[in-house]
Amino acid sequence: MINNITLGQYIPGNSILHRLDPRTKIFWTLLLMTATFLIESWYEYLMMGLFTLMLLLISEVPLKQSLKGVKPLLFILILTAILNIFFTGGTPIFTIGPVKVTYEGVSAAIKLFLRLVMLVITASLVTITTTPMTMTDGIEKLLKPFEKIGVPAHEIAMMMSIALRFIPTLLDETTRIMKAQASRGANFDTGSIFSRIKSFIPVLVPLFVSAFKRADELAEAMESRCYRGGKGRTRLKEIHYSKLDFSVSLAGIVLLGVVFSGRILP
Amino acid sequence: MEVVNARYLQDETMNAIIKTDNVYYEYMAQNEGENAVQAVKGISLSIRQGQFVVVLGRNGSGKSTLARLFNGLLIPVKGTVIIDGIDTSNNELIWEVRRTLGLVFQNPDNQIVATTVEEDVAFGPENLGISPAEIRKRVDESLMMVGMEEYSGYSPHMLSGGQKQRIAIAGILAMEPKCIVLDEATSMLDPRGRKEVMEILKKLNREKGITIVHITHHMEEAVEADLVMVMENGRLILTGTPRQIFENVEQIREAGLNVPQVTALAYDLRKNGVRMDKLPLNTNEMVDILKSLIKRKNGNNSDLAWSRVLKEFKPENPIIKIRDLSHVYMPGTTFEQKALYDINLTVNQGEILGIIGQTGSGKSTLVQHLNGILKATSGSIEVDGLKAEGNGLKELRQKVGLIFQYPEHQLFEETVYKDIIFGLTKLGLDEEEIKKRVFHVIDILGISPELLDKSPFELSGGQKRRVAIAGVLVMKPKVLVLDEPTAGLDPQGSSEVFKLLSRLNREEGTTIIIISHNMEEVAALCHRVAVMNKGRLVFCDTVANVFSRYEELKKYNLDIPKITELFRELHNSGYDVPQNVLTVDEAKEFIMNMIIPGRGVRHNDK
Repeated sequence: MINNITLGQYIPGNSILHRLDPRTKIFWTLLLMTATFLIESWYEYLMMGLFTLMLLLISEVPLKQSLKGVKPLLFILILTAILNIFFTGGTPIFTIGPVKVTYEGVSAAIKLFLRLVMLVITASLVTITTTPMTMTDGIEKLLKPFEKIGVPAHEIAMMMSIALRFIPTLLDETTRIMKAQASRGANFDTGSIFSRIKSFIPVLVPLFVSAFKRADELAEAMESRCYRGGKGRTRLKEIHYSKLDFSVSLAGIVLLGVVFSGRILP
Repeated sequence: MEVVNARYLQDETMNAIIKTDNVYYEYMAQNEGENAVQAVKGISLSIRQGQFVVVLGRNGSGKSTLARLFNGLLIPVKGTVIIDGIDTSNNELIWEVRRTLGLVFQNPDNQIVATTVEEDVAFGPENLGISPAEIRKRVDESLMMVGMEEYSGYSPHMLSGGQKQRIAIAGILAMEPKCIVLDEATSMLDPRGRKEVMEILKKLNREKGITIVHITHHMEEAVEADLVMVMENGRLILTGTPRQIFENVEQIREAGLNVPQVTALAYDLRKNGVRMDKLPLNTNEMVDILKSLIKRKNGNNSDLAWSRVLKEFKPENPIIKIRDLSHVYMPGTTFEQKALYDINLTVNQGEILGIIGQTGSGKSTLVQHLNGILKATSGSIEVDGLKAEGNGLKELRQKVGLIFQYPEHQLFEETVYKDIIFGLTKLGLDEEEIKKRVFHVIDILGISPELLDKSPFELSGGQKRRVAIAGVLVMKPKVLVLDEPTAGLDPQGSSEVFKLLSRLNREEGTTIIIISHNMEEVAALCHRVAVMNKGRLVFCDTVANVFSRYEELKKYNLDIPKITELFRELHNSGYDVPQNVLTVDEAKEFIMNMIIPGRGVRHNDK
């Protein structure tokens, strides 16, 4: 029923993007996000678009796969774009009754749409080229410096990877419980919104009970496999910040600087 | 076996990998005013390095607590547990204990931590702070040992239960343990998964000398052990070689367990006056014993068929008609998967139909069509004149009660009573009628009325399952469909469920369809059996006929009941016996009639 969620799932490969350290990729994503919010002129949009396209190409991921992430969001993207058309003042192109469609509106809508698509593509490129485990390792390392002020870096990363591990299991379980309750006469599809929400109680209670039971058992299994927090723990695949990572990160800063230098400098 | 026996009799305390001395453990009371629950009471045992030990005991006998005491997840309230010379109560050395003695748990899903197989196997060594290069080596070796090296990059949820347990074992192996303890690790697996795991355990024990402590309630798994321990009510009641243990048939049955079918048969024969020095543990031993007792075939091939008066069922009117049913999961997506191919099946009113087949053969998919939970991709289903489509669904779900695997996982109400009537309240019945139905059903199922006001989450596993079944039975279904109703229950729990199903069929005339992996249960309960393989219904016939098609069943990776196997062996060695004997009782009756007068039977009994 709800098993086919593949948004940004890891696709194995050996491109530069695959080989980069997750920290570099997270850093680049932040840079690109900042950039997508700063760009204004059509020229800047064109450059940004070309750049995203270039990333898509070097990722060596089939275009269809990387655009998959956009598909479920398409409706929301188009809706926000359309709203922009109607609610931006300026030079009118035509009017329908009380609603004015303006040049500014249309261009703002297109720009917003492009911006969001580029954001989604960049973000899903990161998850497509990084295994969940490497990703959480990267996040753990990035958060490490903040441990001194009480940020539980290792615990956050561990929680994220366990969550990722159990999502498919819990989805399966939800389907199973829904089927079982439907067999006992539960009805999820008809009635008012309120009664429909209420009809999910027979699904949610067993789901929570089982999730807690799972958590309990998992904790026991982890403990019996000598887990005692992040201290002294090694990794099968340690992530390395290589020269490549350093140069790529530096290139990012330089690039962003060049693109926007015109604006910052007088 | 005799050699092993001698080895066991040597000085037991030498080289003890596990040694407990008068160990007690109690769980805190759940509610105020209740007493603490003593789970383990004064256990003293000693297990030597390299032994293969099986611990038997019914649910709640304290065997899981014992496993947790072994690796220091629990610390005894009294007495000591020494693992390879280290006291588990020594906090500083606890990690050494857990590294030496690894624990594999019951639920395959709830012990896998990482999102890929190799990362999960690496989890233990990572916690021990071992260098990445060494971890890599150990992960590869461990995966090789359990035959899962091809799956190293897989996501765990893509694996079968048996494969998940093999990963869990590899995860322990990567810590280079001396001993592996398995806490009912095979109880949630299908026969094939169970076989895979057992073979690996034997291999590890034989080739690497790893001590195995296997906790189970599958008696067949105990037969080949070096040492068997039986627990009841927190105590160790029997310890010895399998042969010594299974001589105590009565005591084992009292502990809520059972003995292998051939042993049970031999025991019954002995009770009837047949002389037998020792009880057999497997089919071959039993064949040898019987060879000396009964007549050989006298030339003409008479091919006897065992006439089954009691179990003969005359089909009268069909209640379920399935015509050309096919099902495709997620059609039109990349996940498209054809699960059923042109199924044609008729189920008769009042019969008990078994459905057997390997995991993934389409059994569950098939039965989920019967109450419209799944919709046919093509073909039709008719139940009691009602088509499984459109507006008829609500009525259909009343007529067909579907009980899923582990139905206790669907309980959710505050009280047992409320949970049982969940479906009933949607039928618009008055309170009097509802009450009447509930009390009728709990009487059949043996649920005591005091439980009705309790929370379903307070009950024991077996009780929960019965409450879940009650919630379906109060709807008064004409057809009851059960998907592996005894999965995870101990022998006594299983036999109780089977008794109540056969009572339901006899007294209420309920048609029952049951999916099971346990051929002995199917043989004892069902009138007819449908055999499924790779989404197809390969044949459907009376239970006796199905189990005499040994070669075909073998092709579909299915077994026959141990008793049927015994008679097949005898038949093939030239004895005049039918090949379709299904239960221990039938076998006993048959053999008693065949025994050559004066041979093996004590005359003073007459």
